[in-house]
Amino acid sequence: MSNKIKFFFQESWLLMVSSVVFGLLLAITDAAWKPRIEQNTIDRFNRLAGGLLTEAERFESVAAEPLAIEIGGKEIPVDVKRGLDGSGQTAGWAFVCEGSGFADKIRLVVAVDAAFEKMAGFGVLFSNETPGFGDKINITPAAGGFYQPQFIGAPVGTLTLTKSGDAAVIDAEIVAISGATVSSQAVVTTLNAWMVPIKEKLKAEGLLK
Amino acid sequence: MLSKITVSPAPHVSSKLSTRVVMGDVLIGLLPAVIAAGVFFRVRALAVIGVCVVSCVVSEWVCNRIRRRPTSIGDLSAVVTGVILAMSLPPAIPFSIAVIGSVFAIVIAKMAFGGLGSNIFNPAMAARAFLAASFGTLMTTWTVPSTVDALMPTISAANTSATTQATPLAWSKAVQKGQVEAHYINEQTSGAFWGKVGGCLGETSGLAFLIGGAYLLIRRTITWHIPAAVLLSAGVIALTAWLIKPEGFINPLLHLLGGGMLICAFFIATDPVTAPLTTKGMWIFGIGVGSLIMLIRIVGEYPEGVMYAVLIMNSLSPLIDRFCKLTPAGGTPHVK
Amino acid sequence: MSSQSLGKTFTAGLWDSNPVLRLLLGMCPTLAVTAAMKPALTMGLSVIFVLVCSNIVVSLMRNLLKPHLRILMFTLTIATFVTIADLYLKAFLPDMSAALGPYIPLIIVNCIIIGRAEACASKSGVLVSIVDALGMGAGFTLALCLLATIRELLATGKLFETPVMPSWFTPWAGMGMPVGAFVTLGLILALVSVITNKSKS
Repeated sequence: MSNKIKFFFQESWLLMVSSVVFGLLLAITDAAWKPRIEQNTIDRFNRLAGGLLTEAERFESVAAEPLAIEIGGKEIPVDVKRGLDGSGQTAGWAFVCEGSGFADKIRLVVAVDAAFEKMAGFGVLFSNETPGFGDKINITPAAGGFYQPQFIGAPVGTLTLTKSGDAAVIDAEIVAISGATVSSQAVVTTLNAWMVPIKEKLKAEGLLK
Repeated sequence: MLSKITVSPAPHVSSKLSTRVVMGDVLIGLLPAVIAAGVFFRVRALAVIGVCVVSCVVSEWVCNRIRRRPTSIGDLSAVVTGVILAMSLPPAIPFSIAVIGSVFAIVIAKMAFGGLGSNIFNPAMAARAFLAASFGTLMTTWTVPSTVDALMPTISAANTSATTQATPLAWSKAVQKGQVEAHYINEQTSGAFWGKVGGCLGETSGLAFLIGGAYLLIRRTITWHIPAAVLLSAGVIALTAWLIKPEGFINPLLHLLGGGMLICAFFIATDPVTAPLTTKGMWIFGIGVGSLIMLIRIVGEYPEGVMYAVLIMNSLSPLIDRFCKLTPAGGTPHVK
Repeated sequence: MSSQSLGKTFTAGLWDSNPVLRLLLGMCPTLAVTAAMKPALTMGLSVIFVLVCSNIVVSLMRNLLKPHLRILMFTLTIATFVTIADLYLKAFLPDMSAALGPYIPLIIVNCIIIGRAEACASKSGVLVSIVDALGMGAGFTLALCLLATIRELLATGKLFETPVMPSWFTPWAGMGMPVGAFVTLGLILALVSVITNKSKS
């Protein structure tokens, strides 16, 4: 018996020692860089949301814990953030939502005005849509996209997608990117699924008048 | 079965049937469509065809030189690829893009696989797929044929210019979504037959392809199985959809005449290299192509499905050939 | 070991046994991240880092390795350094990390690295292992950059996201898609074969 144990350690001591050493190495690296990684995520959100809500100077979560909101029949924790302007007044709201696109998930940063009635637009946090077609949802208004500006000022509620229409008119009708109906629809569907439940939850919690 | 085969010593009767003759016949078959394209889109169409043919032939010659093989441009297959590719392009296509497509067709889709007879995919369709992926907007911008007065309102897609016009099949999508009434589109059926609708060079006139197809059938350049299978299966699906919901789907006749259905049935799906060899295989292949075209048109997001239907079935053809292997005369050989 | 043979070890990775162009190893990142120069270069440098570190560690422990446990040790070493590289990108190059997605963690299963650990580092001294890792890594990076230059130029008309093509150029979006990767890689491999066959005869 003791021979077996001895043999076991003879064969595997290197593996065990190096596992411990490597584990320590990783723990140190992770501890050193973790705050920076978390800050990057927050920065990216603030950059996108701040670009949409220009009056907001900073964003803070409405509650310590993310709100549990029922979306599409599932309880999903959503970290809704309040955008505050220089004088501490609410300038708008922003949150991250997720839906399925054409090839992969799409994750959007959505910003709405202080009364939660009109959208201030959306930005793409993550997408993997077809280059040249679906990835046109990523083109910001500043870069000359025609799809994203349609959401700036669009009413919070049910948006519909059309293939023909005037993209310059701001209403609940969103004109699709030609050749990328699925991606265009994915954004609309995601927004429809998330915006209203979040609004109701904020009202129910007394955060929104 | 055995009695039909005569085994005899030389001399044998030799036939003049060569690749060159077959391809020459296909070119003659395409002539009505070329003329029709010239009538509808004027010099522009002929220029596009010319550019495609010349760049296909030049690419083939260059490839032969690089591979140090005897020149194979004499078999005219590059010319046929060029004409069919041109037929599947919109008339307003920039010449540079037509050249890119032709080079892709010959160099990548044909010569890289080993030249005529070894290519898996129809070179013209593979090249069109590459162009559609690369230049989406340019490949779906349709000019109105010059013989048409502006009798139809233009539906402008969100980011294309206004001088273009949707094809009957793009309209058919609008019908399915309830944006346009079906009878309005069905009025275009005779237009699709004579050539008064927008589309690729080879999408406007059904008549031209019927004449060309008839010529190929009479010359026995192609057998009737694939065209029949394609048109029958597509027709049955279109008819079923139309009978179930006439206000939601366009006239099945327009489905058969419109888009690339006829050029596909007679000239593209019948490509001897990329289609199965046996009669049974041809039926399977044809039904596959026809059904996929209609599935893409009716269920899919694209208005037209010829290109992808042909490419998908091309990739299955070796499998179909394996599945439909003929029993050699004298029974299955004892192979272990 | 003489400096001359060290030089040979280095150049072997660049051309004669270039992992991508001659050995056809590491095809997954080659096809997946070469749509543009920035991700290709990031991937290349990450692989150099992981390759050098794992070769050093494997070379140091080469006399202690038990034959039947060696693959386990290689994987453990490689996974550690890949995780460090992944964390580094997340912390300091977050945009690149988002663009590369799962392909950085996938370096763990990149056969170039385990291949070098097995073929070189577990049999040679530290110095040779480092030179070998640098050569192989540089060869990999150069091949990726070659592919990415062609693809980014044709797909977007840009290099490092800076427009370089004249204004009349129409971008070929297809080159940025998987089809562009396969076609470009195929043509480059053919060219490399032609050149090596010529130099042999």
